[in-house]
Amino acid sequence: MTPDAFRSDAFRSDPAGSKRIHVVQGEFAVTDDPDVMMGTILGSCVAACMRDPLAGVGGMNHFLLPGEREPTGGPQALRYGVQSMELLLNALYRMGARRERLEVKLFGGARVIDGLSDVGQQNAAFGERFLASEGIRMVGGSLRGDQARRIQFWPVSGRVRQMALVDPGRQLFEAERAKPVPVQPADDGELELF
Amino acid sequence: MPAAAQIRVMVVDDQMTMRSLVRTGLQQLGFQDIVETPDGEEALRQILSRPVHLVISDFNMPRLDGMGLLRALRSHGPTSKTAFIMLTGRADKELVQKAVQLGVNNYLVKPFTVQTLKEKIEAVFGKLT
Repeated sequence: MTPDAFRSDAFRSDPAGSKRIHVVQGEFAVTDDPDVMMGTILGSCVAACMRDPLAGVGGMNHFLLPGEREPTGGPQALRYGVQSMELLLNALYRMGARRERLEVKLFGGARVIDGLSDVGQQNAAFGERFLASEGIRMVGGSLRGDQARRIQFWPVSGRVRQMALVDPGRQLFEAERAKPVPVQPADDGELELF
Repeated sequence: MPAAAQIRVMVVDDQMTMRSLVRTGLQQLGFQDIVETPDGEEALRQILSRPVHLVISDFNMPRLDGMGLLRALRSHGPTSKTAFIMLTGRADKELVQKAVQLGVNNYLVKPFTVQTLKEKIEAVFGKLT
């Protein structure tokens, strides 16, 4: 089965034969290929690295709650995080994963720029609360702090490599802010059946 | 014009977080009689024992999925007219068309706003007071 990535061009093979998927904000990908490595760069965003060890499938998402627009983190903000989690979960279920077997590692949620609202904390708290509410097992990860991270995840084995980015600069923060949230079309798109 | 408070709604989704979001939205619109279930099988069991006016159901669920629930409701006389709005993760045309053939009343693509939820419900019931 080929990786199911939201972005059709997200999948590629490198010369060494390993396969990489770069998961940017608002996207997710799943695979059952043990050679696939998923990577992302996180500032205040959070990525959930999930796998079902028995089914041999796994995947990653990358989300950011629109904290600036709704500082209280109310339902309107939460819906983006919920949606991102649901898309990843449903894709894994379709590949044979079962909720009770899922293992999740959460990464990100850093406070990357001083003096601004701590969106990273909101994202990290959302991720932890979501897993607890849904009864999905969190087995590790690295949340909060003040450094951006580069994450590499091998979904089938569950192995994760994290590298701290010492000076990602304002570019990372602005990149996260420049692409505000939508995981999927937020409206009905072109379907006009009613 | 029906009053939202008079409409009994069942929210069916295997994710508690999503059920909670839908419930919160419904409460903001004035709905008071809201029940929740995590899958279609449980929803069907509850509806058969106590009917509802409106079902808002996800499609990807364990045991009986949303399509199965819709089919079961439509094929059973007393529940065949129950209003049914499906929740879908993507604007999946094929899925929606299949649901339309089965008699779905409307659909809602996640993530959605409370305003969109209101519009979809009003498209089925008319203006809410």
